[in-house]
Amino acid sequence: MIINLLSRAITMSTPLFFGSVSEVVAERSGVMVTAIEGIFLLGAWGGFVGTYLWGNAIFGLLLAMICGIAVAAIYGVVTIFMKQHQVVTGTALNILAIGFCAFFQRVLFGIPQIPLQIQPLSVIPIPILSEIPVLGELFFNKNILTYVAYVIIPIIHYMLYHTSLGLAIRSSGENPQAADVAGINVNRLRFLTVLFAGMMGGIAGAFYSVGFLGMFTTNMIGGRGWIAFAICFLGNWQITGAVIGTFVFGLAEALAIYMQSIGGGGFFPNELFIAFPYILTIVLTVMRRNFSVPANLGIPYIKEG
Amino acid sequence: MASLETPLFSLKNISKYFTRVVANNNISFDIRRGEVLALLGENGAGKSTIMKILYGLYQMDEGEILKDGNPIQIDSPKDAIKNGIAMIQQHFSLVSAHTVTENIILGSKRGRIDLRTASREVGEMADKYHFDLDPNALIRDLDVGVQQKVEILKTMFQEAQLLIMDEPTAVLTPQESENLMIFVRQFAAAGHSVIFITHKLKEVMSVADRIIVMRDGEVHGDLLCQETNESELSRLMIGRDLIAPHKPEAVKQMDDKNGLVVRHLSSKEKETVSLSDINFTIKPGEILGVAGVSGNGQEELCEVLIGARAHTTGQVILNYEDLTDLSLRERIAKGIGYVPVNRYRDAFVMSMSLAENMFLKSTYDPVWQRHGFINFSQLNRQTDASILEYNIKAPGADAVTGSLSGGNQQKMLLAREVRLAKSLLILNQPTRGLDLGAINNVHTTILKAREENKCILLISTELSEIFMLSDRIAVMYKGRIVGIYEPKELNTERIGLLMAGFDDHQDEEVAL
Repeated sequence: MIINLLSRAITMSTPLFFGSVSEVVAERSGVMVTAIEGIFLLGAWGGFVGTYLWGNAIFGLLLAMICGIAVAAIYGVVTIFMKQHQVVTGTALNILAIGFCAFFQRVLFGIPQIPLQIQPLSVIPIPILSEIPVLGELFFNKNILTYVAYVIIPIIHYMLYHTSLGLAIRSSGENPQAADVAGINVNRLRFLTVLFAGMMGGIAGAFYSVGFLGMFTTNMIGGRGWIAFAICFLGNWQITGAVIGTFVFGLAEALAIYMQSIGGGGFFPNELFIAFPYILTIVLTVMRRNFSVPANLGIPYIKEG
Repeated sequence: MASLETPLFSLKNISKYFTRVVANNNISFDIRRGEVLALLGENGAGKSTIMKILYGLYQMDEGEILKDGNPIQIDSPKDAIKNGIAMIQQHFSLVSAHTVTENIILGSKRGRIDLRTASREVGEMADKYHFDLDPNALIRDLDVGVQQKVEILKTMFQEAQLLIMDEPTAVLTPQESENLMIFVRQFAAAGHSVIFITHKLKEVMSVADRIIVMRDGEVHGDLLCQETNESELSRLMIGRDLIAPHKPEAVKQMDDKNGLVVRHLSSKEKETVSLSDINFTIKPGEILGVAGVSGNGQEELCEVLIGARAHTTGQVILNYEDLTDLSLRERIAKGIGYVPVNRYRDAFVMSMSLAENMFLKSTYDPVWQRHGFINFSQLNRQTDASILEYNIKAPGADAVTGSLSGGNQQKMLLAREVRLAKSLLILNQPTRGLDLGAINNVHTTILKAREENKCILLISTELSEIFMLSDRIAVMYKGRIVGIYEPKELNTERIGLLMAGFDDHQDEEVAL
C-alpha cells in the first residue's frame, strides 16, 4: 500500500516538477510568472485539442508547449518590456485563460452528449529497471513525461549553478544593474526564462489532460499552477528545494486520492482530502522562516538614458 | 599597429539631450595610452553622462567615438567591454548575495563554469595586485573599500585597456584613497589608460596627468596637470570665485539650557550591535562633528536620537528633559530637526508640493490649522517666506518638490528642519551630492543655526567639512565613538587612522 502511495506521489508530482522548477529559473532572473495558472490551463487545453484532433499525443504535447509559450510571451512582453505590474498582469491572464479555453472548447466541439475522451499517455515500463523490486515500481513504471522530468531537472540544476548562463540569470534577479554593466542583456534574458517557464508550464498542464485524465474541463487545473508557484517560494528559490517541495505536494495529492477512494474511513468528509494539498500550502507558507528571495524579484528593470 | 600619437579613444562632438536638459553639449577630447585623465566638474556637469555614453549605458544623440582613429559603435556595455573599456560605477555593480568569484567572472566567462578553478584564478589575480581578498567571501560581508577592489579585479578580468572610475574615493578612508591612487598610477604605468571622475581638486592634482574640466555639460578646459593649479581649476569648474562662509570663534552661552546629553546609548539590530555605548554632550551653540566612513552607525545614531529606531540601553536628555521614552512625534515637538542622508527616502514625498512637504512633519501643529482644516493660506505664506529666506529657486509654494534641483531640495529641507529644530539640529551628510555653490549655502545655514544657540550634530564623510564647521570632533567606527577631540588635536592622517578603527595610542605613535 505504501509503495503504491509513493509511486502515485511521484506521478502526481510530475507536472509540479515542470511548473515549480521552471518557475524557480524565471524567478531567479527576477520575474514572478504569476500567469502560471493560466499557462497550466492553456497547456492542458492545448494538449487535449492537439491529441483529440490529430489523434497523437505528440501533437498534443507540442500544441501544449506552444500554448504555454504564447501565454508566457504575452505575459513577458507586458511585464518585462512594458514594465507593467506582474501580479496584476498575471491575474488578468489567468482569468482570460479560463474564458479562452471555455469559449474555444465550445467553438471546436460544441456541447457533446458524453464528455470527449482521449487516450491518456500509456505507462512505459523501462526494461530491466522496472523489474527492480520497490524502486522499479516507484520510479520506472511511469509515463513519458515523468521520465522527461528525471532528465531535465538535473540539467536545469547544472545550468543554474554551473554555467555562465545560470550565473547571468541569478545575477539578473539579484542586481540587474550589475548584470547590465557586465554586458548582459537583462530584459532579453528575463524574457527567455519566462518563455521557458511557459513551455514547461504548458507541458505541466498537458500532464493533467493528456497524461492523466484523458479529458479536459476548464476547472481541471484547480489552482495547481498556484501550488507550483508556492513551491518555488517554499523551496527557497533552489532547484533542490523545489524538488523536495514538489514531492511533498505530490504525496499530499496521492494521499487525497487514496483517502477518497477508500471513502475516508467514513469519518472524514471527502472534501477535506481534496482540500488537503491546499491547506498544506497555506500551513507551510505561514511556517516559512528563512527567505533568500532574489533581491530584485518582481521589479521591472528600467534602463536609464 | 597604430602610431603612439593616435589616441586610444577619441570623443568627437558628442551631445546628449534628456527630455528637458542638455546633459552633454558638443563634447570632444582624447584619451591617450598610459595616461591618467581626470574628469573634473560639479554635480550635474555631465561627467557621468559622457562616461556612461562611452560605456554604452547611454546612447548619444550626436557625435562619434573613435578607437585608434577608427569610428566604433558602442550600443551596450557588451560593446564597450569588447573594445577594452571597463567602468566602475559610483554605486558599485556587485551582486551582494554572490561570492567575490561569481561577481568577477560574471559576463566574462562563457559556458560551463568550474567555480573552484575560477576562484583559484581570482585568488592569483588578487595576489598579483597585492589585494587582500578571499575569492569565496560573499560581497555583502565585505567593507566598501574591499568591494571596490572586487570591482577593480572585475575590470582586470575583462582585460580592459581603459578603466573608468566614477567618484571612486567617495566611500574610502584617506588611507584607502591613497592606496587606490598608487594602484591607478601603477595601472597607467603598465600602458593602460584611466579616467578618474571626481569633484575633488586635491585628488586631481595628486593623480592626474591631464585634466578635463566640465561645467553645464560642456568642456571648459583641457589642461596638463603640471601647468595648472587648484584655484584655476576651481574657477573653471564653478565659473566664478567662491567665498567660504566665516565661522565666528565662540558663541555666547545661554544659562538656562545645558543642551544634549547622550549617555551609554546602545542599539541592537536583530543580533548584531549597531550602536554600542555612545556618550557625548552638545552644548547650545556648539557643533559636534561626527567623522567616519559611512555605514559605521551614523545613520543608526541619528535614528535613535529622533526616536525612529529602538535602543537597548542608555539615555537621551535634551535641556534637562529625559527624551528616552518619548515617541518620534513627541521628540519633534521638543524641538528636534533632522536632515537625513537620503531625502528621497526619509524626508520628502517628491510628488507633493513644497507647502505640503513643509507641513508633513508637523501636521499636529495648530499653526497649520483653522477649524480643524488645513490652513493653506498660512502654509503657503510660511513656505513662500522660506523660499525667499533660503534663496530657493522655485516658482512658488505649490511647486512639485521633485521638480527642484537637488541643491534646492536640500535648501527646502534645511528650511523645514531648522524651523522645527528649536533645540537640536541633526544633520547626516547634509552636503552629499551637492555642488560647491549649494554646499556653501548649506554651511552658511548651519553656522547661522549655531549662532541661534541650537545644539548641532553634524555627521559627514567629508573631512574638510568636519574640520571647517565643528567645534569638537567625534570619530565613529563600528557603532562606537572611538574618541572626541578638539579640531586642533587632529590632522587628516590621524583622523583617517581613527576612522579605519586603529587604536588611539597605536595611532599616536604614527602621528607623532
